[in-house]
Amino acid sequence: MAAIEPHAQLRRSFVYRKLRDLGARFETVNNGAVALDFGRAAAEMETAKLLGLADLSPLPRTGFKGTGAVEWLQSQGLAIGAESNRGYRQPGGELALRLAPTEIFLIDSLAGGGALIERLNQAWSWGSERPRKLIGYPMPRADSHAWFALSGRAAPEMFAKICGVDLRLDKFVSGRIAQTSIAKMSGIILRQDVSGQDGGATPLFHLLADSASAEYFWTCLIDAMAEFDGKPIGLAAVRWLLDNPALSRTTGEGGEQQRAG
Amino acid sequence: MTSAIGLGGVNRLPESFGRLIDRKRPVGFTFEGREVEGFAGDTIAAALAANDQWVLSRSFKYRRPRGILTMAGQDSNTLVQIGAEPNVLADRRVIEPALGVMGQNYDGSLEADRGNIIELFGRFLPVGFYYKTFYKRGSWKFWEKIIRGRAGLGRVDLAAHHGYFDKQYLFADVAVVGGGPAGLSAALQAAEAGAEVILIDEWPILGGSLCYARLGREGDQAFNLAEKLAAQVRARNNIHILSDATCTGWFADNWLAIVKGSRFYKLRAKAVVMATGSLEQPAVFRNNDLPGVMQGTAAQRLIHLYGVRPGRKAVVLAANDDAYGVTLDLGDAGCEVQAVVDLREQVPETPMVHATRGRGVPILAGYAVTEAIAGTAKLGILGAAAARIAREGETDGAATVFECDLLCMSTGYSPAGQILHHAGTRFTYDHAASMFHPAILPPHVFAAGSVNGTYAMEAVLAEGKRIGWAAAQDAGFAGGAEPPAVTGDRGAVGQTHAWPIFPHKAGKDFVDFDEDLQVKDLVNGIADGYDDIELLKRYSTVGMGPSQGRHSAVAAVRVLAKETASDLATLSVTTQRPPYVPEKFGHLAGRVFEPERHTAMHHRHHELGARMMVAGLWYRPAFYGKAEDRDKAIREEVLAVRNNVGLIDVSTLGGLDIRGPDAAEFLNRLYTFTYAKQPVGRSRYVLMCDQTGAIIDDGVACRFHDEHFYVTATTSGVDGVYRLMLQWNAQWRLDVDVANVTAAYAGVNIAGPRSREVLAKVCHDVDLGPEAFPYMGVRLGSVAGIPARLLRVGFVGELGYEIHVPASQGEALWDALMAAGGTAGIRPFGVEAQRVLRLEKGHIIIGQDTDGLTHPLEADMAWAIAKNKAYFTGGRSIAIQTARALSRKLVGFTLEDPAAPVPEECHLTVRNGEITGRVTSAVRSPTLDRVIGLAYVAPDQAAEGASFDIKIAGGRLIKGRVVKLPFYDPETKRQEM
Repeated sequence: MAAIEPHAQLRRSFVYRKLRDLGARFETVNNGAVALDFGRAAAEMETAKLLGLADLSPLPRTGFKGTGAVEWLQSQGLAIGAESNRGYRQPGGELALRLAPTEIFLIDSLAGGGALIERLNQAWSWGSERPRKLIGYPMPRADSHAWFALSGRAAPEMFAKICGVDLRLDKFVSGRIAQTSIAKMSGIILRQDVSGQDGGATPLFHLLADSASAEYFWTCLIDAMAEFDGKPIGLAAVRWLLDNPALSRTTGEGGEQQRAG
Repeated sequence: MTSAIGLGGVNRLPESFGRLIDRKRPVGFTFEGREVEGFAGDTIAAALAANDQWVLSRSFKYRRPRGILTMAGQDSNTLVQIGAEPNVLADRRVIEPALGVMGQNYDGSLEADRGNIIELFGRFLPVGFYYKTFYKRGSWKFWEKIIRGRAGLGRVDLAAHHGYFDKQYLFADVAVVGGGPAGLSAALQAAEAGAEVILIDEWPILGGSLCYARLGREGDQAFNLAEKLAAQVRARNNIHILSDATCTGWFADNWLAIVKGSRFYKLRAKAVVMATGSLEQPAVFRNNDLPGVMQGTAAQRLIHLYGVRPGRKAVVLAANDDAYGVTLDLGDAGCEVQAVVDLREQVPETPMVHATRGRGVPILAGYAVTEAIAGTAKLGILGAAAARIAREGETDGAATVFECDLLCMSTGYSPAGQILHHAGTRFTYDHAASMFHPAILPPHVFAAGSVNGTYAMEAVLAEGKRIGWAAAQDAGFAGGAEPPAVTGDRGAVGQTHAWPIFPHKAGKDFVDFDEDLQVKDLVNGIADGYDDIELLKRYSTVGMGPSQGRHSAVAAVRVLAKETASDLATLSVTTQRPPYVPEKFGHLAGRVFEPERHTAMHHRHHELGARMMVAGLWYRPAFYGKAEDRDKAIREEVLAVRNNVGLIDVSTLGGLDIRGPDAAEFLNRLYTFTYAKQPVGRSRYVLMCDQTGAIIDDGVACRFHDEHFYVTATTSGVDGVYRLMLQWNAQWRLDVDVANVTAAYAGVNIAGPRSREVLAKVCHDVDLGPEAFPYMGVRLGSVAGIPARLLRVGFVGELGYEIHVPASQGEALWDALMAAGGTAGIRPFGVEAQRVLRLEKGHIIIGQDTDGLTHPLEADMAWAIAKNKAYFTGGRSIAIQTARALSRKLVGFTLEDPAAPVPEECHLTVRNGEITGRVTSAVRSPTLDRVIGLAYVAPDQAAEGASFDIKIAGGRLIKGRVVKLPFYDPETKRQEM
């Protein structure tokens, strides 16, 4: 089977050259190519538990904001709690990040099928009712933001080198969102933990940041990770964390809605 | 100097001494080119002392030999040079294999410095030398070379390699600064109460003074306590220990700066406990600065921390009980103590005094050391002269000289309150204790231990507990029972002598070692009228050296009080500011966070040989080709657009989606034009002014729906425009949503007469015909299968299409257009060519052709102002400006002399020697083959055909002539084709 070339796809990760130079093997998803692994799958799983950085930018995501956006998404079947700066897990594994009372950033499950996102993007329209019912507005989140996953127990300490928010595991619980400055640029961090067989949790942080700065972020993160022996990992290692049958239960705090976890 | 291999030096003590060294790991390094061997854990100064090398550096002014003073990194005596790194504290820097250490401030050799001759001329260099000398005309010329030649500490290597430094945030409920008994006790109690604690300590092991000081007759009492407390601290999982780390400053809201190695920590704590201890103060007498004269605590550190004998024969200058601990420690270390010279008339018979007598050491009560007897070349001391104290600061009778190579000073302390000072703590002087102490602490800041005037060990531990509990309470943790308040004697009285200063008629009685300031220097400064401590500091430079007055501030204020007959309680030491110890620029700079924004096509530009330029955080192609071919490349790119087809990356232009029922009204209020009746599918120019009427941004508003405008903004202006939009949207409460989608869209402008032909190859769902998609039209469609927003705009003055697509597909779009344009000879063009093209077309660039005051009338943009709008931002100001006469006007110009050089931006326009304006843009147009430009001129020189003067480089005047804009295609046929 011929190797998948990221530059042969219409949608290209903002850091695909860096991934390619590191020897990534790619998988097509969503008209793009995502780095599946770097040819050392088993080692990457171990790295994922310690400190791994994965580029998930090719995976689907979208956003809706404005008056009526959340109510409309709820009418579309999304489970979104009342609290802002929380991530809410959807039955299909998607995560709805409530950034504000009227703003949702929706990221796909790691399968990357994007069915829910595609359905929502198709469902949204200006409509013909007058006065028009306010349902918010779509946001081009797949392109405005790069999507990185940082996994492993050293992630909070690594983040402390580039971000002023206290992301330690006992302070920044699974499901929490920080919208803050990271390495001098704006970014969104969501913690989504993965429970381990031993009862412990492997922290997983989603970092959503300015797509135009993706290469800058990647370089900063790799540099900050070095002292912890953190390394790039592929999507497969992150999926392994999430797909391990013993890891599937959620660890978010209780409440009406199921939070990210 | 000899190096005893395997023993770590001739002065190395048996294995029962040396808590910080690992004797199994010898470490070799060089000092002044000679090989030295120490042990892992040794500092440079300790390893050198072990090898009998006592001179470490020379002083700044007189170049006097200097050695160990504190062994705590508190002074400038031990500043050495390591390779490219100057001013390394030799008493704190741990040795590493192959470290190359050199002394500082000498010409020739460290032991025989030619520059030391300056000491002979010391009396010609009085305090205030600068002020007294340089008001005289011409004197600076003479002195400058000499002063510059000697100025500075150490040697800066301009070719030094960049080090790797970084920063990290830390978080805590309670931060405890200082790992001595008070700090350990406070940390434990705060943790007990449930708080998360960070304990910051300068040393590799916890315990502070307990690691080297002597609490009683038996030597191990203190260290046993340190180990016990440290073990308890280590056992707590809610105490984070940060050893080898120095808190260098307190800033607002308990933000602490901490340096550890190459890392700079930024800690925000809810409450802070300062348990920073106290600094032993030197006594003042002749030659008190020479190698061999050190503080008692320095000798104890050498003995207990590094296993080094501080001398062979010693005299101890005493004024407290700790001096007797020093005496006993020296004896234990095999150092023969000749005498204890005690400033006190009555020496309390404490257990340690009793033990000292028991060892047969003579105690001279009511005596002072008047002089350390200098050895050859002042490289050490031969003895100490002691005489009976007659009255404060004076002795009489014959002095007795005790032969010694070590003179320890244990005459008192001063609180290490520098960081408390940063926090705004007020200190007052306590006559009973002869020390300053913190009187009023700011909220959320606490002090415990000797920094707070508490010395008795039981009281220190109790106070630590109490303060740790209080800090935890303050941070919101109510756990644990309230420890009792510390009452009664806290042990401060009797620690510090009120006047350990014995000026000598021959001088060299140093108050400030950094700046070589003697008692008479301060006395003379005060006599010159600088009789306030802050004035005296600046006049004499006392306390302004690297150790920032840690050992001179209190002595200086004592001298001031005496000379001005003031009560010390009415005075204070000089203001202490961060940093507490020197920070490197590397620490402050940290890792280089220099954000860069790349467009989706960034790498394609590199592959095509683009020379990149920065625009804010963005990188944009300036032109394509070699740097030396710049002008040729720009010219060819311009001509490609004019005659064929070119492609430019415009992704960096700002993009804002304005959506909602009030979108048009929102734009009406923000921009100068009208948008309510703008048809869907059309774009319209937008000009934004601030409330003073000054132009701040421009772009186009593309209407894709009744309720949706896609508004472009300038690359550097979009963030400000977005902020303003959010601010006004919040204020006006219109039903509008504002989204900055700049990064979400990659954009190109395909321009030139063949652009339609090329685009048509990859765009099949939009009718590109001139009627179906006219100039200023906007469409939604797809290009090469990529969803796109298409805009017919004319910035460069040719038929052209801006195509905005999702950023992740921007590179694919570029690839598709370059491929589609291959046969047509499409050429990428950069920002430089675009600047020429737009100038030919007479379009302004905000920020280049406007400044922070330019209003639309000055910029000849009255056409962009709606006449019948009720309101728009800046409208009222523009109305006022309209009613007034203009003071300048932006015009197009060409040069009367075709051979004249091209003026540069900001060359002035002048009339009769008066400035009337400036050139804002000028180029030699490849299309028109003449110089064209924009310039501000006087309004009466702005009519077409008027001529004006431009003052170019070298002051030459050339004639400009006003030309009607645009220069190119005035009928605008080309962009509308």
